[in-house]
Amino acid sequence: MNQAEVNKLMSQLRVSVKRLRKFRNPLGPEERLNKLRKTVTALIKHERIELNYPRADESRMYAERLISDAIRYGDCHKSTMEMADYWLIEKQLIHKLFKVLVPRYENYTISYTRLLNAPRPYPGEKHCKAVLELRGNPYPSLVKDFHSDRSLLHNVLLDEARRAYRSEKYKEIAAKVTANLKDNGDKTRQVEANANDEAKATLTSDKTKKVESNEETTT
Amino acid sequence: MNSLQTLNKRMRRTVFNYVKRHLSSEIERQNEIFTNEKSRQRQAVGRIEKISINYEGPQPESNEVLIMNKNISTPFDCARHLGDTVSNMSVVALLNGETLWHMHKPIPDTCKLQFLHYQSPNPVLVNKTFWRSCSFLMGAVVSQAFKDNIKLHLHSFPSPNVKSGSFVYDVQLELEDWKPTASELKVLSLEMIKFCQKELPIEHLDVSKDVAFEIFKENPHKTKQIPDIAENNDDKVTLFRAGTHIDISKGPMIPNTNHMGRITIANVIKLNTDIPDGHIYRFQGVALPRSLILNHFAYGLLEDRAKLLNPARIPGSQVVDNEDNSFVASMTA
Repeated sequence: MNQAEVNKLMSQLRVSVKRLRKFRNPLGPEERLNKLRKTVTALIKHERIELNYPRADESRMYAERLISDAIRYGDCHKSTMEMADYWLIEKQLIHKLFKVLVPRYENYTISYTRLLNAPRPYPGEKHCKAVLELRGNPYPSLVKDFHSDRSLLHNVLLDEARRAYRSEKYKEIAAKVTANLKDNGDKTRQVEANANDEAKATLTSDKTKKVESNEETTT
Repeated sequence: MNSLQTLNKRMRRTVFNYVKRHLSSEIERQNEIFTNEKSRQRQAVGRIEKISINYEGPQPESNEVLIMNKNISTPFDCARHLGDTVSNMSVVALLNGETLWHMHKPIPDTCKLQFLHYQSPNPVLVNKTFWRSCSFLMGAVVSQAFKDNIKLHLHSFPSPNVKSGSFVYDVQLELEDWKPTASELKVLSLEMIKFCQKELPIEHLDVSKDVAFEIFKENPHKTKQIPDIAENNDDKVTLFRAGTHIDISKGPMIPNTNHMGRITIANVIKLNTDIPDGHIYRFQGVALPRSLILNHFAYGLLEDRAKLLNPARIPGSQVVDNEDNSFVASMTA
């Protein structure tokens, strides 16, 4: 029951890993990897590329693995360096991987790349298109930002709803505080009254004791 | 007591008119007057003159000069020359950078033209336009949703205030102390969604006081309001029509009902007013344009807030209600 889940202990990619596709290639499986190498290199180089969906989906997994290994092991790890050397055809990109991308993604809790469906040109090829990009790239965003502009209709409504909710909560808290103060006031008054009674009682008991002692002495 | 409750339930079940097969003769009469007046105004234009309209797009490259027809062409016609994206997206036109102009209202003179949409920078005026249209469309739905044996007169809607969290229409209903159930509200919301899915254009028409009196002669509240409205608007009354529903408003409105996305009629609350022999109910709702996407949870929060009574002014018998004058088109010809 209390054992750690083994899969949580292993490093895991932040994108879902699917079955690999067989790209049709007259030159065999090696050429498939060569194609993916080209795409991964282009992704690291340009940070945003548009291409056919299957190849984007496939090369995304390799790019994610490469970056996560670079973050995990650093540039002094032999096999990581070999992998970087293999996947990045242009060798200056190895520097970019370790000096630019690793610092950028060190504290990420989400995937390092983003895959978006792109519109298919019509009329044209029937293949689905996609845009593959590195997160945190310097280009303008591809998806609309509905959040930051607070003057948009839904943001105005949400902000006002939040304000109304808060004012209600503050009222509740204020009501509680006043109720508490009242209670405390009553209690302190009671306590004071009790204390007075006790003091009186002790005084009287002392007097009686004194009287008794006096009586004892006289007798 | 039991029998009374069941009777009450049965009454409630029959409150709504799900399918209206025939238009009432009253609505037909109103529409006939509206259509005739519209065609009369079109013919009164006479000889067609050309005006040049300078379209100012979001980028300086997209500026265009359009040669259009004076008093006939509308901003919507201009938008159609500029492509589907512009004509589908535009909510309201801005003439000379200052006057908001309904998309289906003919342009009287040469001017600069801009189009505003829900995501344009600082969309306060667009939001207000949308909110007003929501009130108007809710009036259209409410006036058609009830059965014929329940007398109903639309009263008015206050100036749109997005920050209040709900759009409002005050309606006189011949129902004593009606508190709508959740399912009844759902039916009303669905009716409004169905109405908006018809993709009806919202037409605009400026008419004289007499024509307005003729159109609204069956509605005691509107007839009371018309003189005051006309006084503030150069003896003209601005009418809008969606489908067969006609209403008075300063405008502008959205150009088409297909701009509406999520719609909820959130609550109906009876108001305490001194209006004689009438139970005034405040219909409240919340809606978003189709192009603004919001998740269900956040929208649920908005729906919850829209259920609270809207603080807008409650109509009385003394004060004649009309919308604020901030949107009166004061275009100098």
